[in-house]
Amino acid sequence: MKFFAGPEYSLKYEEQGVRCVSAKNAVNKKKTKFTRDSVVVGLMLAPAVIFLCVCSIYPFIWIFRYICYDYNGFTANYTGMRNFTRMLGDKTFWNSVGHTFEYAGYKLIFIIPLALVVAVLLNNRMKGTSIFRGVYFMPTIISTSISGMIFTFIFATQNGVLNAMLTKLHLIDSPVKWLTSQGVVMAAVTIMAIWGGFGNYMLYFINGMNGISEDVYESAKIDGANGFQTFFKITLPMLSPVLKVILMLAITGAFKDYEAILVLTKGGPGNRSMVMFLYIYNLIFGSSSASSQPQIGYGALLSVVAAIIVGIVTVIYMRISRKLDDVV
Amino acid sequence: MKGKVVSVLLATAMVMSLTACGGQSGDSNTTAPATGDSSSGSSNSETTPSTTTAQDGETTAPGGATTIEVWSEDRHDLEYVEAMIDKYNESNEDGIFINLTVITEDYQNMIKLAMDGGTAPDVVGANSLPLNTFADNGLLIPLNSYIDADETFQKVNEPYEHAYEGSNAKNGNIYAVYSGMRSGVRVEYNIDLLKQCGYEQIPTKLEDYIAMAKDVTEQGGGEFYGIGFTSSSPFERLLEMSAQVSGIFYYDYVNGKYDFSGYKDILEAGQRFISEEIAYPDQQGVDNMRALFAQGQFALWSNASQEAGVFTNQIPVEGFEWGVATVPSLTGEIKGALQTTPSKSYGILSTSQKQDLAWKVIQYFQSEEFLKGYLEGGYSLPISSYMDGVIDKSKTGRLADFSLLDYESVYPTPPAVNLTGDDYRTVLWNAIMGYVDIDEAIEDLNTRYNDALDADVAAGSIKRLVIKDYDPLHPSQGTATYLEQ
Repeated sequence: MKFFAGPEYSLKYEEQGVRCVSAKNAVNKKKTKFTRDSVVVGLMLAPAVIFLCVCSIYPFIWIFRYICYDYNGFTANYTGMRNFTRMLGDKTFWNSVGHTFEYAGYKLIFIIPLALVVAVLLNNRMKGTSIFRGVYFMPTIISTSISGMIFTFIFATQNGVLNAMLTKLHLIDSPVKWLTSQGVVMAAVTIMAIWGGFGNYMLYFINGMNGISEDVYESAKIDGANGFQTFFKITLPMLSPVLKVILMLAITGAFKDYEAILVLTKGGPGNRSMVMFLYIYNLIFGSSSASSQPQIGYGALLSVVAAIIVGIVTVIYMRISRKLDDVV
Repeated sequence: MKGKVVSVLLATAMVMSLTACGGQSGDSNTTAPATGDSSSGSSNSETTPSTTTAQDGETTAPGGATTIEVWSEDRHDLEYVEAMIDKYNESNEDGIFINLTVITEDYQNMIKLAMDGGTAPDVVGANSLPLNTFADNGLLIPLNSYIDADETFQKVNEPYEHAYEGSNAKNGNIYAVYSGMRSGVRVEYNIDLLKQCGYEQIPTKLEDYIAMAKDVTEQGGGEFYGIGFTSSSPFERLLEMSAQVSGIFYYDYVNGKYDFSGYKDILEAGQRFISEEIAYPDQQGVDNMRALFAQGQFALWSNASQEAGVFTNQIPVEGFEWGVATVPSLTGEIKGALQTTPSKSYGILSTSQKQDLAWKVIQYFQSEEFLKGYLEGGYSLPISSYMDGVIDKSKTGRLADFSLLDYESVYPTPPAVNLTGDDYRTVLWNAIMGYVDIDEAIEDLNTRYNDALDADVAAGSIKRLVIKDYDPLHPSQGTATYLEQ
């Protein structure tokens, strides 16, 4: 900001023993210096700015450029508002939006409490906690396509591990069609998502808890607080800043999930597990039929709409979560 | 001032990025040095396995030889193709050095990117290149003049007999010539299991086929099943082909519009597989289901001629005999052609500066000498009657069971529309599974496909294909016309 400061700053410098120059000269000199400095600054900023433009701004412009086109990767035909009208009547897309909310809801309801509880348990000073942390975190670093394949075997109706276990435990009489029944496929997808993600959030919570001072717990202990009271009156409120960030990451992550679903169910059966980003992926890359072609323009429009939906959800969450800040 | 500097920087960066990402036009050439790395010209080489033909990594063209860059997406036949290219490069009679690069990921986009960037090859494997993009936009050149001047090539490959509208030919121009093919779908069956259940033959009528599958499942009592379906395009692997041989197709060539109405009977029959719990309970990926078939978990499987190699080498069937039969039709009669998939074709890119030499390479790849070993090696079925008569079929193993039927052909490619929502295979399988009503599914498909067709034709992005003299038993023999409305 000092670059744009007026003569009063020179007078201030003079008072501080800085070389005295007239106000007019100081301004002129600063203008000259500004020009030279700006070149240096510009050169130093250039790599970052270029990368920002090429990697972030250009793709955005590219996306917006094609939303009014039919573009198959080779030819682009301007179609005006046709993609917009198609979108409004695209039942598959709007159903996929609904499925995305449903999937995100199921995932968040289970994954956050589970990650928190496991984090609290593993934050105690016990032997072997680091092993458990590693084991629970491991799914996070496994490729989602591989985990999708593994869960295909686990959820198999006829020879699947899960059905075999449930049958042994006498919890089911006949095999559950985890991946081919519209009634239970969301449960299967959610189970896989929780398995793959909760270790990550668990680590965030553990890190957050490490930031809570031991003195607070000692004080609570002296005051006679039991474990539940400590958790609800000390741990949870003091975790709220971390919880706020974790929830935001979890929400945006849940809305953007599609890779594992692609491998596990391909959005089926009957589009029951089709989430919006998987539908967009299919539009652009997944057409297996000779009678239709890749729809990059329409997919670009849907990706913008999907981003707006995720953005709205995030904004709503941010407003609600302000209350969490008031706790501490 | 600061604002101006930032603006200039942003503008410069934008121009640079646009320049970097933009394509070169006009005189791009393909004189890349003949090294293994140079040929790909790709930005994602990590995900595009590539190879060259030279021995022990030595990929330099001999002095005086002109390098012809060849891209292919076929990996299954690499051992044979590499050996033959090595042989050619060693003899080097034409002064040509062939440099082969195999690209198995995102093949079409890689070619387009390479053309834009001036690093495109001269010859490309053209099995899967859609003509509505590669020919209509001038990326491939017509080969008619080369073909017409070469009688030997015509004798071996029969290019005009196997010119399929929309696949390798359009409006009289041939852009690639097929020398191999994958058969249409066949039924692969567990002979021992069917014998055990009292069946010797595969019924030709769909109703009887379903009844047999049901009986096998009932006899299996949960131990084995009558039939299995995969989750990967299941409709295409049996019922769509049953519809084809019953004379039912999704595009009405005579009137130039999509029409799914004919599928109703097929869908009603197919629903029984699910509603009566005839099929194996899971629909997993293709390889998983193949493995289950190979383990004797179900008696009937259906897929094309690639299963010959799969059940012999990849997932060998052991412990029982397996047979190959034709797919059943609605009435037992054959009223329409069964779709085959032609393969092993090559095209010349319009950016090539060495098109005559590129044609010489194609001549070699599709010569009798090259093809005889290729086809006898079981990499593909022959498409030309000449090569069919030349090869020793005893050397092709189980592939001989998938030989061309007299009612197999290639359907003209219907216009590729910008479709909103699921494609027809997904919707029709959803109807089989009972997720959507059959009548609603058909009405939905007719509406969406024809709306998209009308809109795309009106926008000028595609043309309406009409074949007035269309014959469902000989779909490739009609006269194709393209209408702009």
